[in-house]
Amino acid sequence: MSTTREARTIEAQGLVRRYGRLRALDGLDLSTGTGVTGLLGPNGAGKTTLLRILATVMPYDDGALRVLGQDPRTPAGRLAIRRSLGYLPQDAGFHRGFTAFEAIDYVAVLKEHTQVRARHDEVRRVLGEVGLTDVATRKVRALSGGMRRRLALAQALLGSPDLLVLDEPTVGLDPEQRIRFRELVSEAGDGRTVLLSTHQTEDVAAVCSQVVVVDHGRSLFAGSVADLVAVAQGRVWVDETRDPRAYAGWRLADGSYHHVGDPPAGAALVAPRIEDAYLLLLGPGASREAA
Amino acid sequence: MSEWHVEAELAGRYAAGAVTPVLAASIELHLVGCAPCRGLLEVEPARLDRIWDEIVEEVTAPRPVLLERLLRRIGVSEATARVVATTPTLRGSWLSGLVLVLGLALYVAHASPRGTFFFLALAPVLPLLGVAGAFGLDPAREVAGATPYSAMRLLVARTSFVVATTLLPALAAALFLPGDHEVSVAWLLPSLAMTTLSLAAAHWVPVTHAALGMTALWVAICTTHWIASGTVTASLAEARVLQAVSLVVLVVAGASVVRHRQDAVAEPRRLL
Repeated sequence: MSTTREARTIEAQGLVRRYGRLRALDGLDLSTGTGVTGLLGPNGAGKTTLLRILATVMPYDDGALRVLGQDPRTPAGRLAIRRSLGYLPQDAGFHRGFTAFEAIDYVAVLKEHTQVRARHDEVRRVLGEVGLTDVATRKVRALSGGMRRRLALAQALLGSPDLLVLDEPTVGLDPEQRIRFRELVSEAGDGRTVLLSTHQTEDVAAVCSQVVVVDHGRSLFAGSVADLVAVAQGRVWVDETRDPRAYAGWRLADGSYHHVGDPPAGAALVAPRIEDAYLLLLGPGASREAA
Repeated sequence: MSEWHVEAELAGRYAAGAVTPVLAASIELHLVGCAPCRGLLEVEPARLDRIWDEIVEEVTAPRPVLLERLLRRIGVSEATARVVATTPTLRGSWLSGLVLVLGLALYVAHASPRGTFFFLALAPVLPLLGVAGAFGLDPAREVAGATPYSAMRLLVARTSFVVATTLLPALAAALFLPGDHEVSVAWLLPSLAMTTLSLAAAHWVPVTHAALGMTALWVAICTTHWIASGTVTASLAEARVLQAVSLVVLVVAGASVVRHRQDAVAEPRRLL
């Protein structure tokens, strides 16, 4: 592996993180390079724990990890990662009395943008990227939930970092904003490493070159979106009535039932979608848990 | 209305920014309604861009808050002033609450024979609570933790100003306590010792936990003393052994903070 390539990758082997008796990460493996990698998994699967470890805000207990070729267990490694990192936490907060501009400017200070004028230009750039230029002087407390989420995304884009770690970035965004987000992430993934967690399988299908399915702190699948969809090939069918043997089944607009699982003989198979494969990987009962 | 128009020579001086503000305003008023005169202006696009950039900067750039302006005036760097000014426990609501609590403690000190003890038990933990809130109440702490800004630098900068803004009103209030002034300031050394110990402990545990733990310890000591002695005097704060222990803790913890001041990046979650 060349140094340049290593400097753009995340390599994790057997990553373990415990909260008391609970193993939030239970020997998780992960290997990603440039491009957009989507993390899919139900609530409590360990996605946020993994992203927080990658963002260097949480230590891990066991295993091996290299982020952008750096060891996050050493002070020098953490500093190097943080200098190349844009991190959108699940609960990114800002001082409510700040304007949108001030909130991003504060993070820019923490990101070592010391030249005032250049920093302000960069703040304006990222606010423009997420479509918040018009509300730059509005207080954070007066922004809608979707605007605050975009504001949080803006701070992650400061300095065009080599690594973007985004924890559920599309939560609270309306359909138009999600499309804009997809454009942004697609651009960001060009030559850089983007890792995002989401519950939205359509987001993964739209922007991710790679997908990792996580459950119970372990990686169940890692590969391309096409490979993931192929998992469900021949295991999705429609029927006039609900088949109780299916892992999951729901009524479609035309009144028929879409089923995922082991099809009965002679079933009318249909082309699978990414959520079908996702449900199959999580196993029976997953549709309730992952909903 | 007269048929006054901008001549070529005047247009050139206006474009070069070489006219008085009053004349410039007059010209601009005319230009708004006169397309031929606007056509005389040949302003290079780059200059227009620069002017526009200046306008945008002027409109959107943050206005430093009072605290930030004061810090800049005493020589604190722009970046440090900004991170200190964002401290939740340096905001008006916290400081107002602090003054209220001190006023209440003073009232109790004068109204009850046990009141002085109450004040002496309360005053040392105010800086600790301020330090705990400086990080525990920061809504951007998760984002801040993933940035390269030195966590120890942030900690020391915020703590210094929180302690200063908490201790000064507490000291001022202590001067109005009934009785001996020496007793009134006897809490100062234990307070500084516990705050510095919290800072030093932040190398191993989150500073919020350290400060709250220290607060609980102090309250436990005071309560135990009160129950055991059965007195209502300020003997605990006066005790020479307590002052001596506080001095030792202050020196040792201070040395530890100085030793770790170069920690550019502490262990994740330890400081914040």
